[in-house]
Amino acid sequence: MNPRLYRKLPLVLAAVGAFALPLVLRSPTYLHILILLYLYAYLTTSWNLVGGFAGVLPLGHAAFIGIGAYTSTVLSLQYGISPWAGMLVGALLSAVVGVIIGLPTFKMRGAYFALATIAFAEGIRVMVENIDYLGPLQLNGPRGLQIPPLKTGFLNFMFAEKEPYYYIILLMLTGALVLTWFVSRSKLGYYLVAGGEEPEAAQALGVNVARAKLIAMAMSSFLTAFAGTFWAQFTLYIHPKSVMSLDISFEIAFIALIGGRGSIAGPVLGALLLRPVSDFSRIYFGSTLPGLHLVIFGVVLILVMLYQPRGLQEPLTRIYNRVMDRICGGREAAA
Amino acid sequence: MLFIIEDTINGIIMGSIYGLAALGLTIIFGVLKVINFAHGSMLMVAMYTAYWAVILTGLHPYLTLLIVVPVMFVFGYLLQDILIKPIFKAEKDVREPITVIIVTTGVWYILDNLALLVFGPQYRNIQDNPLRGKMIEIGDMLISVPKLWGFCAAIVTTALIYLFLQKTRMGRAVRATSLDRDAASLQGINQYKVYNITVGIGTAVAGVAGVALVPFYNVFPSVGVLFDIKCFIIVVLGGLGSIWGALLGGMIVGVIESVGPQFMAATWTEAVVYALFLLFLFFKPSGLFGVKYDW
Repeated sequence: MNPRLYRKLPLVLAAVGAFALPLVLRSPTYLHILILLYLYAYLTTSWNLVGGFAGVLPLGHAAFIGIGAYTSTVLSLQYGISPWAGMLVGALLSAVVGVIIGLPTFKMRGAYFALATIAFAEGIRVMVENIDYLGPLQLNGPRGLQIPPLKTGFLNFMFAEKEPYYYIILLMLTGALVLTWFVSRSKLGYYLVAGGEEPEAAQALGVNVARAKLIAMAMSSFLTAFAGTFWAQFTLYIHPKSVMSLDISFEIAFIALIGGRGSIAGPVLGALLLRPVSDFSRIYFGSTLPGLHLVIFGVVLILVMLYQPRGLQEPLTRIYNRVMDRICGGREAAA
Repeated sequence: MLFIIEDTINGIIMGSIYGLAALGLTIIFGVLKVINFAHGSMLMVAMYTAYWAVILTGLHPYLTLLIVVPVMFVFGYLLQDILIKPIFKAEKDVREPITVIIVTTGVWYILDNLALLVFGPQYRNIQDNPLRGKMIEIGDMLISVPKLWGFCAAIVTTALIYLFLQKTRMGRAVRATSLDRDAASLQGINQYKVYNITVGIGTAVAGVAGVALVPFYNVFPSVGVLFDIKCFIIVVLGGLGSIWGALLGGMIVGVIESVGPQFMAATWTEAVVYALFLLFLFFKPSGLFGVKYDW
């Protein structure tokens, strides 16, 4: 068999399995855990467009989650607009904010960029916390917004069961991964990688590095805002500390860095490895050993950075390919 | 009018303590060109060390300096030697290795959550300490005594660090390395030894700040996070790498925080500080006293 074929086949099977899983798995707890896993994989994939390919370290993506969550929630609560439409409005708004943040910050280097994105995200959070009414829009400051669980149904983006949420976030993740795949093979992707590794050299070759980064930032913040709306509709309660906290921004970056930034599989792999650690340590040790999962995150992060700075995706892909070659290649040799 | 003067004075005093907390960060940046994201956690460790030293031995809070400073120096020295040095060796040609930010963020998460695991989430403070709640009256103004001591500690520490860098042989080696690490290596300076000592000193200064804070501030596992972002802002305002800039930047933040509430809701002052920070980042990233580097 062709190695390209048998290496891809299990991945396709895994994807089909993910879509079929709710038929077998009925426990709402496990579905909830899986939904959060996909949500973080989605967030990290969106982050990866700018944090991975463009070689910068944005640490303020929670701001875009907040913009998405607040836009769709305010529109649906006060004007009765379907969250699906609000999702799109929020994403557009978020992309505009992303470009506004990107314009001055992409000129900065390394640490300055990271600090500036933190300051932007925290600044937006502090503002939302202090504003009860933004013109006619009710934001409720630190108390946040509650979505009354009255009208379930697709148009209202509200469901009594977990399964619809499961499929929505899985489709969103698939879409984001496909987009990343296209970007990584497009001119834009090459511009981003070139600009991230050697900005001067890329510019000398005629690449408009700043423009490529801004496009990536716009796409990234657009997609991240979608996750905000999903989050709001899934938990039905948002407040600045829940959707815009610095911890979320950091967790997204952690997952990407451990999984492998700048690769398509990295964010998904990172979420697959880290989310269960955090969920199960909270379930089993939450009361006795609080914060244990964050200690584990920190240790894993440091070890990965010291020994596999390109993330776990690289060695795991190598092992995976070798195993698949042994299983399928052996048969080929025998035939 | 008087209350504005009083707020300004209190802001300068509290701000100088912020500056002391940020001083270690700026020292480390000045030489290694990396931002230590674990700096707030170092401060947290220092505060817990001072707290337990007082509780267990009954020392006067300020005498714990004798314990905290050496402990923190060794802590910083080992942190740099074990975790950060390998990155510098692996990424020799990178001027500001971004990996260091990530690794120190990992250290931040480990330390904060270990503190949560070991000491629990409760706020602790030293109940029977001679300085608690003590005030002096100057005219009609009230000034907190432990904060005033913190102000003195900030001035003295900054001056000592300045003298160390200007007058001693080691200080000269540190300055040389901060200007150009390759050229310094060519002069026979052991670059990594300088780094170890610099991070050790930066952490020890965070230790001084921790001791200054302990008599009047609560100790809890995430106390470092409160100071972390404040410290980043302060060092950028003052100029990354500038010793006196850290003190001045701290005072600016302190004054905004204490005078601001006269004109707006107290929670808005935080937004003002962020806005000021971003303005500096965009228009004058070298800060008030920073050296103009090649960015």
